Amino acid sequence: MPVVAKQSERMRQFKNKGKNAAALRRQRVEVNIELRKAKKDEQILKRRNILFSLMEENISPEDKRNEVVQLSLEEIVEAVNGSNEELQLQATQATRRMLSRQKEPPINQIIELGIIPRLVEFLTCADNAPLQFEAAWALTNIASGTSDHTKAVVEGGAIPAFISLLSSPHMHISEQSVWALGNIAGDGALYRDALINCSVVPPLLALVSPVTPVGFLRNITWTLSNLCRNKNPYPPLDAVNKILPVLICLMEHEDKEIISDSCWAISYLTDGSNDRIQIVLDTGILPRLVELMASPELIIMTPALRAIGNVVTGTDEQTQVAIDAGVLAVLPCLLRHAKPTIQKEAAWTLSNIAAGPCRQIQQLITCGLLPPLVELLDKGDFKAQKEAVWAVANFTTGGTVEQVVELVQSGVLKPLLNLLLAKDSKTILIILDTISNLFLAAEKLGETERLCLLVEELDGLEKIEALQT
Amino acid sequence: MELSDANLQTLTEYLKKTLDPDPAIRRPAEKFLESVEGSQNYPLLLLTLLEKSQENVIKVCASVTFKNYIKRNWRIVGILVEDEPNKICESDRIAIKANIVPLMLSSPEQIQKQLSDAISIIGREDFPQKWPDLLTEMVNRFQSGDFHVINGVLRTAHSLFKRYRHEFKSNELWTEIKLVLDAFALPLTNLFKATIELCSTHANDASALKVLFSSLILIAKLFYSLNFQDLPEFFEDNMETWMTNFHSLLTLDNKLLQTDDEEEAGLLELLKSQICDNAALYAQKYDEEFQPYLPRFVTAIWNLLVTTGQEVKYDLLVSNAIQFLASVCERPHYKHLFEDQNTLTSICEKVIVPNMEFRAADEEAFEDNSEEYIRRDLEGSDIDTRRRAACDLVRGLCKFFEGPVTGIFSGYVNSMLQEYAKNPSVNWKHKDAAIYLVTSLASKAQTQKHGITQANELVNLTEFFVNHIQPDLKSANVNEFPVLKADGIKYIMIFRNQVPKEQLLVSIPLLINHLQAESIVVHTYAAHALERLFTMRGTNNTTLITAAEMAPFVEVLLTNLFKALTLPGSSENEYIMKAIMRSFSLLQESIIPYIPSVITQLTQKLLAVSKNPSKPHFNHYMFESICLSIRITCKANPDAVGSFEEALFMVFTEILQNDVQEFIPYVFQVMSLLLEMHKNEIPTSYMALFPHLLQPVLWERTGNIPPLVRLLQAYLERGANTIASAAADKIPGLLGVFQKLIASKANDHQGFYLLNSIIEHMPPESVAQYRKQIFILLFQRLQNSKTTKFIKSFLVFINLYCIKYGALALQEIFDSIQPKMFGMVLEKIIIPEIQKVSGQVEKKICAVGITKILTECPPMMDTEYTKLWTPLLQALIGLFELPEDDTIPDEEHFIDIEDTPGYQTAFSQLAFAGKKEHDPVGQMVNNPRIHLAQSLHKLSTACPGRVPSMLSTSLNAEALQYLQGYLQAASVTLL
Repeated sequence: MPVVAKQSERMRQFKNKGKNAAALRRQRVEVNIELRKAKKDEQILKRRNILFSLMEENISPEDKRNEVVQLSLEEIVEAVNGSNEELQLQATQATRRMLSRQKEPPINQIIELGIIPRLVEFLTCADNAPLQFEAAWALTNIASGTSDHTKAVVEGGAIPAFISLLSSPHMHISEQSVWALGNIAGDGALYRDALINCSVVPPLLALVSPVTPVGFLRNITWTLSNLCRNKNPYPPLDAVNKILPVLICLMEHEDKEIISDSCWAISYLTDGSNDRIQIVLDTGILPRLVELMASPELIIMTPALRAIGNVVTGTDEQTQVAIDAGVLAVLPCLLRHAKPTIQKEAAWTLSNIAAGPCRQIQQLITCGLLPPLVELLDKGDFKAQKEAVWAVANFTTGGTVEQVVELVQSGVLKPLLNLLLAKDSKTILIILDTISNLFLAAEKLGETERLCLLVEELDGLEKIEALQT
Repeated sequence: MELSDANLQTLTEYLKKTLDPDPAIRRPAEKFLESVEGSQNYPLLLLTLLEKSQENVIKVCASVTFKNYIKRNWRIVGILVEDEPNKICESDRIAIKANIVPLMLSSPEQIQKQLSDAISIIGREDFPQKWPDLLTEMVNRFQSGDFHVINGVLRTAHSLFKRYRHEFKSNELWTEIKLVLDAFALPLTNLFKATIELCSTHANDASALKVLFSSLILIAKLFYSLNFQDLPEFFEDNMETWMTNFHSLLTLDNKLLQTDDEEEAGLLELLKSQICDNAALYAQKYDEEFQPYLPRFVTAIWNLLVTTGQEVKYDLLVSNAIQFLASVCERPHYKHLFEDQNTLTSICEKVIVPNMEFRAADEEAFEDNSEEYIRRDLEGSDIDTRRRAACDLVRGLCKFFEGPVTGIFSGYVNSMLQEYAKNPSVNWKHKDAAIYLVTSLASKAQTQKHGITQANELVNLTEFFVNHIQPDLKSANVNEFPVLKADGIKYIMIFRNQVPKEQLLVSIPLLINHLQAESIVVHTYAAHALERLFTMRGTNNTTLITAAEMAPFVEVLLTNLFKALTLPGSSENEYIMKAIMRSFSLLQESIIPYIPSVITQLTQKLLAVSKNPSKPHFNHYMFESICLSIRITCKANPDAVGSFEEALFMVFTEILQNDVQEFIPYVFQVMSLLLEMHKNEIPTSYMALFPHLLQPVLWERTGNIPPLVRLLQAYLERGANTIASAAADKIPGLLGVFQKLIASKANDHQGFYLLNSIIEHMPPESVAQYRKQIFILLFQRLQNSKTTKFIKSFLVFINLYCIKYGALALQEIFDSIQPKMFGMVLEKIIIPEIQKVSGQVEKKICAVGITKILTECPPMMDTEYTKLWTPLLQALIGLFELPEDDTIPDEEHFIDIEDTPGYQTAFSQLAFAGKKEHDPVGQMVNNPRIHLAQSLHKLSTACPGRVPSMLSTSLNAEALQYLQGYLQAASVTLL
């Protein structure tokens, strides 16, 4: 009968979706399309150097009149292209100042002036440090804009120039170059690899020393993190292998921004295939990461949690390393964190641990993860609730009957059934799948009748019926 | 087809004819249109007609024809489907897309709606890739200032975008939404602002306001669709604009927009209702971003509720608004919005209580549409009603504020009861509301089977019951205040687990009395309450209410139940019939004196409803009641079976002759029950029917198969000898049934049931000539489509055969089909698959059968089969000791779920016609493990030394250990 065949076909699609163990672990989804605002808790891709300009504007009016020469765009072009070094400096400084103003820097206009190649040339004027510095700053700020802006800088030939400036005897020039390179690396995998191919890594790492000032070190760490960032393709292996040991030292630093950015770097390196995860695991950094995940500082906790979340998308063995490092002891706190994004990330991490074999599920139970999971399912932010639903779904797919019983006894049913009212089709589908897993377990125990009553008591039956309309 | 006047004329003629009431004219015209619809320009001709025809009918007719044409043909199914070619040529497609939007916008509303539908069908296929201009074209019209045009655009946009509300997230979908947002979100926002401004400038112009509010409704709907999948950046940035305006619209009122209609929701209600939905969407999904706005919405919505009237037209708005509050008040971080005592009091007083009142519309339903009323009130299909929403809000508030809420309501309940007491005939609705309030306050969890399972401990349910419910039910006049009677009965029903038993016992005669009430709702509730009370469990898993306790009421209960079936409107009342069934089941032998009258009434009912079976539940319970009458009576007096046959066979014959499909499976089940009641040889009346049961036509209907197999099994059990002697010519027919069943994956287990009965009961010589053929059929099926279910049944069958005919006979029949076949079956099927057999009796049959093969089959000891001896023993020990193997090969994973024995959709099994599990091995073997030990011992005495040596060479250690346990338990040793 065709009808029956069709039905079992539907059943097949449905069942297998829930049963396919390989699909349980969910990688960080790389959404190409995002409707939402760019996430506020992501690390910043590119930064403009505006701090100094703020200070300059506070200089008294007379000083300003003395020091700052007002130039029109035409005058700038003329001076930059001329040969008078004094004027070159003045024009470059004026350009830099425009690009450093807080609101609406005229990046496009400056690019249209066609002076980028000249600014790049100035980078090489080793005998004129002020000019080098002003040019580096201006180019940094141009590169901080859109992809097209960064492209203009790169196509002006800035990469090799900045890389050689890393070794400049003037620390502020070297630091500005680090910054510029960070902006270029942050644009994407293409420029990141262009930099790496121009051997940016060794001179950059050479700048890290016990005496490097904290501010400088922050810039270096941030640029390193951008060199680790982006997939498709991943950053080249040898570069990663060089950077990793330094990152691990940086994670021990006392400055929280440095720790934060090194954690971001680790989170990028773990965001990928299992062999990439393995490279990070091999450094033995996981216990430190777990420790940082428990940090009271949001800027540290966020990337550390992300990194750990990425690690547990890996194989069972890799996940076990995270468990052995103590991740399960920290997660309850994070599941109860006030910030919805932390709740969500923690629940996502948990969902991937719950996708593991039943011995890992057992550890999850032993470490007391069920109560916070149920709480989150009940009261969490919707984004976090969705992840919690995944966690429960995975748990019911991979857990033993006894473990599933324990889950039900933790009170998971009520909040789970309540979420059938969620305005999200996917979530509803997963919940239905989960309910069917629960019934399979109940059947094995001969408790189908009791589970039916429980579901009915919690208005589950009505909610499922309501879905049909 | 040319775009010519002649063709337009022709088309006009035919369109006109499609409206003709005479099918002789209409049909050919429809056929003609269908035959030309594949021609180029056909759709363009239709568009021309709907725009330019002189006659309005033709315009409308052309627009409908056009829409249906698009619906049928626009989608290109796929190049591979040859019989569905692309009927619309590319140039027509382009022309349609270029013209349809302006055409739609300039058309009168009737035609606009058709074209708007057509656009959304086209859009579903072509938008956005193949229709890139659509959005710009639509957005440009926003500037037209003509709200007829704007509403056309909005309506089209709504039908294009509303699918975002239910589609799954995908890159494709989100790309489309992003595109729509980029082009549409800003213009929509500007339009929203502009429209609101126009509303205030035209605040005194009723007709303008109507158009503007239609726009606002559509805009609010679009907002919902565009925000459904995720919170778009644009709307996050513009939340202030949208939410501030939504908020002020919620609080807006304008006399000009109020409608006189009591039933139909007006524009203002529709808009506010949609805004509640929008707010609920944000509150649920984007709580973090929406938090700053939420308190304002809570206040606005609650004020809205306070000021909205009782008319039916506000129902959707009110229930949406209450549900919004209910969902918010459960969230821990919004608790503070509600916790103030004044707030709580005000919500209880002004929102909950008024919406719990019994309204005129409810009263109407109670009297004139009782079935619907019962469904809503009893079965919970009241999701969108005000009462239900109010009830949900009570439950939501109780999560954090159970004490205060209970306190506030207690005061209310008391004052409403006082009002009632002052003048019951005028104020009875106050009492109704009081009861409803107590019910919703007290019930925390509920199931059909048990009523309320968790109650609010702050409410004294028994006290309320004694003081306020019982008095109503005790009043002499069962027809007075029927709504209150129904409330009271429902109270008993749902709180049956909370009210003490002695109170329930006091209530039983009252309920029985109310079976006589004229009101359908009241006597139905009374029947239902009795039925529920009779199913309650006491200690020791017996019924809470015993037959002894019911003794004084048996006669009046049965009389009133059957009388209730004669009340107007209840002749096929399923609740009453279910109560009859349950009463029989509870009262057991105390009903025997009444059986003659009861069975007469039941058969008359059966005869009457078999003319036109329409109430499946009623019918089912009626047959259950018949079965119970038979069982109970024949248990006490087996000879009574004859009188049942006398009473029933006439009706059954009529049902079979008239082929009343719904009832035939039931008839077979009742007949099986009757036949099994006979202790002696099968009566001739049954034998006369036997040939008819083998007719293939009966076996065509899947619903007949299980009960017919069951009936044939009863025939074989009681009459195998009679069949062998008096109906031997029917044996091939019987086997024909088996053959048909075995060929089907869904029914093969039924075939095995039949085969097993044949093997077990038929005299061996009567089937001797067919045996080999049976095995061949089974092998064919094994080769063609092997499923786990088939193998399980096959294993049970061959072991039963072995028990019945001996192991040697089994080996011989296999090897007679093909040499060495027996070894193959052992090696490829029995040894590897035996672990899959499920069911206690089935496992026992297999254990005993295999034991026989091991110990009573000489070829196992001294031929090439010997090498299989130890593996077979090991498999048997596995069957005893290892958990059942319930894995299923991937390729048949899902066949099994649908086809497991016992899973039948078209067949309603009668619980009280049930068959006891039959164990063909029975007492012959009590403990199969001991039996194995003893049999091995016997074998080892026959050929000393061989058994221990076979064991020691290849049985694994664990199995050996188990085996030694069996030997010890049986106190035997192997020689």
